[in-house]
Amino acid sequence: MIDEATAAYIVENQKCFEDLKQVASQLAGLLVLAAAGSKEAAPDHPTLGAARERFREADDALRRARPTDRARPHYEHLAQAAALIGAALKESREVLNVDRILIPLRAGYTELEHAADALPGFQKIAYDRACCGGARIQ
Amino acid sequence: MSAYSLWVMEYAAVPDYPQSGLIYGMHNQGTRKLPYCYVVIKGQGQLAMVDVGYNHKAHGEVLANTYGVRGWHSPREVLGEIGIQPQDVSNIFITHCHFDHMGNIEDFPNARFYIQERELSKWVWTMSLERRFRWLMLGIDPADIMRAVDLARQGRLVCVDGDRENVLPGVDVHAAFDTHTWGSMYVTVRNDLATNSQSSFVFCGDLAYGYENLRGHDPKDPEYIPIGLATGSQFNVIMTAEAMVKSVGGDVHRVIPPHEERLKDLYPSRITKAGLRITELALADGEKSQVA
Repeated sequence: MIDEATAAYIVENQKCFEDLKQVASQLAGLLVLAAAGSKEAAPDHPTLGAARERFREADDALRRARPTDRARPHYEHLAQAAALIGAALKESREVLNVDRILIPLRAGYTELEHAADALPGFQKIAYDRACCGGARIQ
Repeated sequence: MSAYSLWVMEYAAVPDYPQSGLIYGMHNQGTRKLPYCYVVIKGQGQLAMVDVGYNHKAHGEVLANTYGVRGWHSPREVLGEIGIQPQDVSNIFITHCHFDHMGNIEDFPNARFYIQERELSKWVWTMSLERRFRWLMLGIDPADIMRAVDLARQGRLVCVDGDRENVLPGVDVHAAFDTHTWGSMYVTVRNDLATNSQSSFVFCGDLAYGYENLRGHDPKDPEYIPIGLATGSQFNVIMTAEAMVKSVGGDVHRVIPPHEERLKDLYPSRITKAGLRITELALADGEKSQVA
């Protein structure tokens, strides 16, 4: 059972979780292009600008979060994810060095996955909108 | 002459999937079994696959508990039924980048993966959009993107731009842009290796979920009916259906939708001890049946 205060924490922090996931995806997407040799992949790519802006919003939201005891493990994973994804973003300022960016990025995303497992209401992917979505049973 | 053995390998299934999710317009018309499958292509000294299934470690619990997906088994178990090891697979064609088609990349450490470049570049573009466009990210697992980075670093990611013939002898890939996804593709196996093949098979990924998509509800009066889920346009889905059906000389049953349970009514098959179906579409000359 989730108590009311924890439920409120879940609702308030869903956007922060989604934003961090999106930032990780944006950066990873650019790394795929960079690793595949695409000329599009550069530190001035508009996707990176959008990612930095979104990260700032997520980071602000995280500072405002007030986790309950039940939500504490989730919050800690989320905070760790933000630190690592933030480090990956910093690495991307001048050169898209795939190896240097990927290490904190992957670790950050793993923290997000742990966060998703720590409380209900945080989805790793939007199953509802995927091919399996029509089969939802609860 | 058959150059390749071709098997459709079930690795999980949803027993009761709403038909409306698969065939456009079939609202309130019940459910059907939706198998999750990948395809094995073996012959000419090659071992290849079309798609690799989803990553159970990441998604299995949610898919089982919330979406009724049953019976997931690993590639090692599934492919072991026909005497194949995942590490022996050398080439894999990813029809599109939804998690249930490319999530198991890590289980195939020696394979080269072919993906349409547009599928990757449009991901990146989609990710740069505002949150209100998040529907466009449907089915994409960020962890898969990171796995794709690894593939690229290892030189195992081949970005294809459009159609490409003879990626393997007699095996072609065809782009189907802006259909089910931004950069979907289908795979044609010309099993006699002839340019104008008389024994082609098309592996269509999710460009068709079932035969209704390819011939409508009345086989005597065929029509194309779009799939239940498309990021691109249904017009493009229909025109791709026409291209696929034409490429097999009009025989829709040689277009193979991996989610179509009724393949068992068309081709020999067997059920494994794990309850999964193996469907044998063709046997290369000299190859022993795996379903007899």
